[in-house]
Amino acid sequence: MDPTFRILPVLENKKLGPYYKITFEDKQICKYAECGNFVMMGLQALDPYLPRPFSFMEVNEGSFSILVKVKGKGTEILSKVRKGDQIKVLGPLGKTFCPPEEGVLIAGGIGIAPVYYQAGWMKGGILFYGAKREKDLILIREFGKKGFKVRTITEENGGLVTDIVKKYAHELNGKQIFICGAIEMTRRIKSILSEEQIDKAYAYIEKRMGCGLSGCKSCAVNTLEGYKLVCKEGPVFPLKEVELG
Amino acid sequence: MVDLRVKIGSIELQNPVLLASGVWDFPYTKMIDFKRLGGVVCKGFSLFPKEGNPPPRITETPCGVINSIGLENKGLENFETEILPEAKKLGTPIIVNIFGESIEEFKEIASKINGVAGIEVNISCPNVNRGGESFGGDPKTVFSITKAVCEETELPVIVKLTPNAANIEETAEAAREGGATAVTASNTFSGLVIDIDRKEPLFKRVTGGLSGPAIKPLALYNVYKIKNAVDIPIIGSGGIADYRDVLEYLIAGAAAVQLGSIIFNNPLAPIEILDNLKYWLKENGCKNLKDISKK
Repeated sequence: MDPTFRILPVLENKKLGPYYKITFEDKQICKYAECGNFVMMGLQALDPYLPRPFSFMEVNEGSFSILVKVKGKGTEILSKVRKGDQIKVLGPLGKTFCPPEEGVLIAGGIGIAPVYYQAGWMKGGILFYGAKREKDLILIREFGKKGFKVRTITEENGGLVTDIVKKYAHELNGKQIFICGAIEMTRRIKSILSEEQIDKAYAYIEKRMGCGLSGCKSCAVNTLEGYKLVCKEGPVFPLKEVELG
Repeated sequence: MVDLRVKIGSIELQNPVLLASGVWDFPYTKMIDFKRLGGVVCKGFSLFPKEGNPPPRITETPCGVINSIGLENKGLENFETEILPEAKKLGTPIIVNIFGESIEEFKEIASKINGVAGIEVNISCPNVNRGGESFGGDPKTVFSITKAVCEETELPVIVKLTPNAANIEETAEAAREGGATAVTASNTFSGLVIDIDRKEPLFKRVTGGLSGPAIKPLALYNVYKIKNAVDIPIIGSGGIADYRDVLEYLIAGAAAVQLGSIIFNNPLAPIEILDNLKYWLKENGCKNLKDISKK
């Protein structure tokens, strides 16, 4: 579906772990949203000037949600929006894909948001999920309800998600794997999967974006075929194709 | 009925609002009715493909955006076979922005471009090692490239100036002497962003090009300076965010304007600006663009 640009009122802003789950009402975006899609969110101002890309976290019949982590000025303002505030929304954007019925999801931190949305398109599988602190782990029960076995780990209590992926690498055999997390995490998982000779893996790639419509050529990611734009050919790429340097 | 038509040399535009190069791509046709625009300038291309600069390529500054894209493009051949045929379907005048690393490259590209409204010569990109701003900062080089391009083409030639030149009136004059139909004033301002985590410049090429409302007074001043020093039509560009900015540029002496990064902030901005501009003219008793400057 063609993306649309609209000014939408915030329906709800709810704290979820260390994040903010912001929900908007919009039938059209919800109707056409698919796995892999994202939206650009902008404020009604010239400062911050650029919109920010967010993957869908949840899409229901008439409302959709994104998950915001405060990282800078834009996300700080977004984290404070209240019901009724007007936000510029452009989407759905990005290249969609059809997820498998069963598969493995690997998430680090706020990377849980898009894989949670993806899980809704699947029948089940395994989730490997790491965060800094125990209280940062969110949506675990919901993943269970969606038919996922959940393996978690935190830095304050045991280590990194890469540690459990390595430990339970045998559970990955023959499965399609989807990864969403920090570049360093994705890089380490790429090397684990390569050691295990598992190649059906895909990574959600995050880059700074200007427009979301391939106009500015900002969100380049290096791949085996040269630079590709995350907004146009992503955000999900075959793991072996992307350079994570 | 307000008449928004404007003529820049032999280029006839239905209104003075153009889209600048390097900010739009065809997916924007889902947002903007291109037929309503005065025209569009296509993303700059070079003789051979350029892969562009390594990421990060963009970051935000207060009321602005700084980029280090590095003229990523697929080259002349791809432009001719893939981009231009699509652009021609947009129903608006097409100006093609060309980039060369040498006078010879500029000449070769210019000689092969036909069937468009004009050529914009990019000698002002701050994000490449060869060509770009290093050409545009030197009036002698500006003259030589403009002359060389004009000798290769019958099309109107617009020279896109760099605001980072020591004296923009001199480079504008050099473009005029070289045979340019108009100048675009101006490209992005060189600027620096430091990554405080890595304690070094954010961009691999150190500097980037700053655009957006943050630079509007600076770019507007360039238009004003050129208008008062050089007899050449000016296309104003830099930080336009609404119709009032367009009016400022037109009053300062621009014949037309280019919208750039504002379409990242609001993809509907070009049409909103056009509607509001038309409304303002009507409300202020202006029958055409010339009436704007009447006191």
